[in-house]
Amino acid sequence: MSNLFSVILLQATLQAMTPILLASLAGVLCARVGVFNMALEGQMLVGAFFAVVGSYYGGSALAGVAAALVAVLVFTLPLALGTTWLRGDNISICIALNLLASGLTSFLLRIVFGVSGTFSDPAILPIVKLRWLWLRNIPVAGILTWAQTPITFLSWALIGVVWFLLFRTPIGLRLRGVGERPDAAQALGVDVSRYRIVTVLGSSLLLGLAGAQLSLGTVSVFSEDMTAGRGWIALVAVMLARSDPLWAAAACLLFGFTDAIGLRLQSIGLPNQLTDITPYVITLIVIVLNSGRSSIRLRMR
Amino acid sequence: MSFTFPHLRRAHRRLPTALWSILASFVVGGLVLLSTGNNPLTAYRALVSGALSLPNLPDTLNWAMPVVGMTLVAAIPLRAGMLNLGGDGQLVVGGLVAAIVPLHLPFTGFAAIIISMAAAIIAAGLYALLAAWGEISRGIPMLISSLLLNYPAVGVASYLVRFPLRDTTSNLPQSAMIPLDDRLPALVGPLNVGAPVMIAVALAYVWFERRTVGGLELRLSGINARFARYGGIHLARQAYGVMFVSGGIAGLVGSIIVLGSHFRFIDDGLLAPSFGPTGFMAALLAGGQPLGSVAAGLFFAAMQIGGVGMQRDTEVPRVLTMVLQAITILLIALFRRQRTDRE
Amino acid sequence: MAAALEVRGIVKRYGALVANAGVDLVVERGEIHGIMGENGAGKSTLMNILYGVTQPDAGEIRLGGALVRLRSPLDAIRNGLGMVHQAFRLFDSLSVWENIVFGREPVRGWVVDGRTARAAVAELAERFSLSVNVDARVGDLSVGVRQRVEILKALYREARILILDEPTAVLTPREADALADVMRALVADGRSILFVTHKLREVLDVTDRITVMRHGAVSARLETARTSEQEVVRAMVGRAVSLDIQRPDVATGDVVLEVDHLSVKMEHGHSAVSDAGLTVHAGEIVGIAGVAGNGQSELIEAIAGLRRHAGGTIRLRGTEIGGLSVGARRRLGVAYIPEDRATVGTAGRASASENLILGFQRRREFQRWGHLLHERVLGWAQRLIVRYDVRIRDAQTPVDTLSGGNLQKVVVARELEHQAALIIAEQPTRGVDIGAIEFIHRKLLEERARGRAILLVSAELSEILALSDRILVIYEGRIVANLPSREASEERIGSLLAGGSGDAPPVEAGPLRAPSPAPSLSDAKLRDP
Repeated sequence: MSNLFSVILLQATLQAMTPILLASLAGVLCARVGVFNMALEGQMLVGAFFAVVGSYYGGSALAGVAAALVAVLVFTLPLALGTTWLRGDNISICIALNLLASGLTSFLLRIVFGVSGTFSDPAILPIVKLRWLWLRNIPVAGILTWAQTPITFLSWALIGVVWFLLFRTPIGLRLRGVGERPDAAQALGVDVSRYRIVTVLGSSLLLGLAGAQLSLGTVSVFSEDMTAGRGWIALVAVMLARSDPLWAAAACLLFGFTDAIGLRLQSIGLPNQLTDITPYVITLIVIVLNSGRSSIRLRMR
Repeated sequence: MSFTFPHLRRAHRRLPTALWSILASFVVGGLVLLSTGNNPLTAYRALVSGALSLPNLPDTLNWAMPVVGMTLVAAIPLRAGMLNLGGDGQLVVGGLVAAIVPLHLPFTGFAAIIISMAAAIIAAGLYALLAAWGEISRGIPMLISSLLLNYPAVGVASYLVRFPLRDTTSNLPQSAMIPLDDRLPALVGPLNVGAPVMIAVALAYVWFERRTVGGLELRLSGINARFARYGGIHLARQAYGVMFVSGGIAGLVGSIIVLGSHFRFIDDGLLAPSFGPTGFMAALLAGGQPLGSVAAGLFFAAMQIGGVGMQRDTEVPRVLTMVLQAITILLIALFRRQRTDRE
Repeated sequence: MAAALEVRGIVKRYGALVANAGVDLVVERGEIHGIMGENGAGKSTLMNILYGVTQPDAGEIRLGGALVRLRSPLDAIRNGLGMVHQAFRLFDSLSVWENIVFGREPVRGWVVDGRTARAAVAELAERFSLSVNVDARVGDLSVGVRQRVEILKALYREARILILDEPTAVLTPREADALADVMRALVADGRSILFVTHKLREVLDVTDRITVMRHGAVSARLETARTSEQEVVRAMVGRAVSLDIQRPDVATGDVVLEVDHLSVKMEHGHSAVSDAGLTVHAGEIVGIAGVAGNGQSELIEAIAGLRRHAGGTIRLRGTEIGGLSVGARRRLGVAYIPEDRATVGTAGRASASENLILGFQRRREFQRWGHLLHERVLGWAQRLIVRYDVRIRDAQTPVDTLSGGNLQKVVVARELEHQAALIIAEQPTRGVDIGAIEFIHRKLLEERARGRAILLVSAELSEILALSDRILVIYEGRIVANLPSREASEERIGSLLAGGSGDAPPVEAGPLRAPSPAPSLSDAKLRDP
């Protein structure tokens, strides 16, 4: 019985972790190239909405994912261009984007689907969950991989890909240099704006995936502000990890676990108003505990 | 030496970007409307008449009270170079306290109202102090902690009014009614005493920012915190003060809504109208500058009331106003001349 | 054979200002070529043009006889130019070899080929005796070693012409000597060096030829072997200068500042200042000499209250102030001219009056019950603007419109008008023109005559020697010497700065006079021809 409990908990953890993990990997890339991306929340929300639009009208989950990727890419343009060519204020841009995402998805929800609050319909096709029978009987791997979406598997692979990109390739070296000393990188002929634009836009694809996973991964539904702070938690993971992808993944695992615990507590009868805040309370506790050690200071202006 | 009007000149430099951004947002919004098969001109006409036609004016003013209040919540820290993204949580804490206290006081009337409001202000101010404490003594960026603190406040309040504090006579998630004598006196139509109170608070901030030593220190810290510290301004003390006042105003707004309009704490009743985000955008539009913030707050409030009229007359969802506001802020963030004093 | 670098008729205008008015410059292969000039003479503009940072309005650049257009630093690098900036442009978190190969990494497949990179860097370092540990983190290295990394960066990019911008400003005399050896090795290899400096002795010691600039044009081309210090100075300022500074005798009074056993720890726990003790009397200027980064900033910040100290006492006129806030210390009589006027000393977007009042704003004369008395604030600001000759339109204009010298005058005006018992002046004349230098020096001496205690920190040894009554030498966070200025000589202090014993043979130097020849012009007092 306790075994069953832990298996379900583990699977719930991994499911809850995927969007946060993808968002925090994007956050890591942006932070490394010197753009403090606080718009993760809004980017993910836009992804979630357009994944539903794509799936509903395109008739396949793949169309949903594609729509999410394109939509988030377009939505991220103001951030990518604003912090580079236009020299805008990064924090204000991100705050505006988050509010825009919230307003725009609510508006379009009413315009496109004619509903408010939540939209669900059998015509929204979910992303298939992979059930690999040949792995089923291997003790740990079987549990870990059972009934997860391809996006989840991809997100795991991306931890390594991001790490490899950052710390082994010339592009990663330059990207880190651009983030640390843009003047020095520029003086050595590395185009700072180009690196930033490409990184911010490239990382936005991860948020498209995160959004699609959120709205098409577990349930096929979009509801207003359904990201519910996941983007901010991902940002906290980036800060706690000091922009290291491996540590960020570890932090996401922790946050995914708290999410799963919340669900678990709900299933044993606690009101969901209280269980829903578990991830945030635990996140706050973790930052306070960790704050003495890491210097995650950030002052506006 | 030429004779100049510094306030005018400063406003002059800021005005064009703000105006152009608003205009441009309406153009973008118009395109969105066109692409969704609506006539932008009809929609915008309904928006304006919804906001400014005589019968709707009291509604606009009533709506403006919380919006201007939440604008100040964001503007005051912004002026000092800080971000309080926790306005919603502080609003809920204040509203909840104001809904509970009158039910437990042994007396009613004026004293009960004052005590309830004071309790709401203090509770919300203290909740805001948590974020200041995090930044000052633990180095946690306030913009993250203040934002994350919204969730527990909202969740706990929601739980309380659904279970322990629930008004058992109704099926809705809301607390028990506040006695008649403990409600804010009404003035005209939907307007109650809360509106003049909020006007007084706004004027106090305008005066403070322009005319007092504390205001000077607030502005200088916002422009260059290192310079302020070097000049002997106690930044930590200032941050605590600013956050307490900011949170306190949010609490005041919550208590005015609860004691003056809802007469109880309704789950999601304080948050559904998006006063917090709207106020935050208004403050950003004006860069925290007091008169500009108040003006922007009034403008955004008018837009939202107009949005209600627009939705009724044209079936364009009123959330469009939120989109227009966000686009305005985005354009401001993209195109307003950047400050260079922090490298 | 064509010259390594040939520049003809370079013109660069910034609005009404002509930064370069037809500059010609020829640098031969295998020579060290000095570029001298005051602040604002146009050296930086010329170097930025050579390195492709800015584009000239007119003129041409030839490298080895071939006409080139340098549109970016990358263009300059491709054409064999390399530059070592005064402020290093290094990635602290990366290793030495990563810094050097950055942007030109050897690769194996998709991966940076660390082994090849390390070997290439080590080989270069070996060849020019620039010893570095290729795997060290740059953030952990000393200033001298970082400079070697900068030079290696240029050499890795096959620089034939190396521009060194004020390279010795941050070095100890010993490190500067080592740099001179490296420079000689580089020119022996057939490369050329443009050596930008304002230190007379270095330029005479190291270079083959010197080009002197004044007001954006070349004022002299000199063969180092056949010129004299006076000739270089004349070309720089356009008239003969006296290198003396008048420092009248002032009777010193009571102890104003007394620091004992002070230690300051950095965030990572290592000591920036250990067991420092010093006293400053009324009517006395005490100079702290030290190569940048030896703890003087931390010492000053601890006295001013901007940095917490780990131990020891700080007494102002007998009162312990070590535990007090910045504001409380200011009220008790501490004025402080900070090193960084733009990011610490002023708020750019705030008006001159706001900048001039900070620190005084709570005084009775400017407020009643927290209400600011605007008329008085403006009147005060206007008086200071006139008295200190700040060139600004009016007191309500933001100070981010001001030049460096004028901005510094705002800071100096505010701090000196404190009537504070103690004035801390940290690099008070860095990066300002000679007129402002003279003005600020005169003001400091006036305050000394009024009986104020002045603690002066400067990286310019000559400024310290010219102004101070007593000189302290700080090395690796410790005060290693405390000398009356008549016993101080440049040689002796130079040795102490580098951690030596200071037992250099005594040099004859008149009391109350800067030793001659002065190594720098920054304290030169002008005299009409």
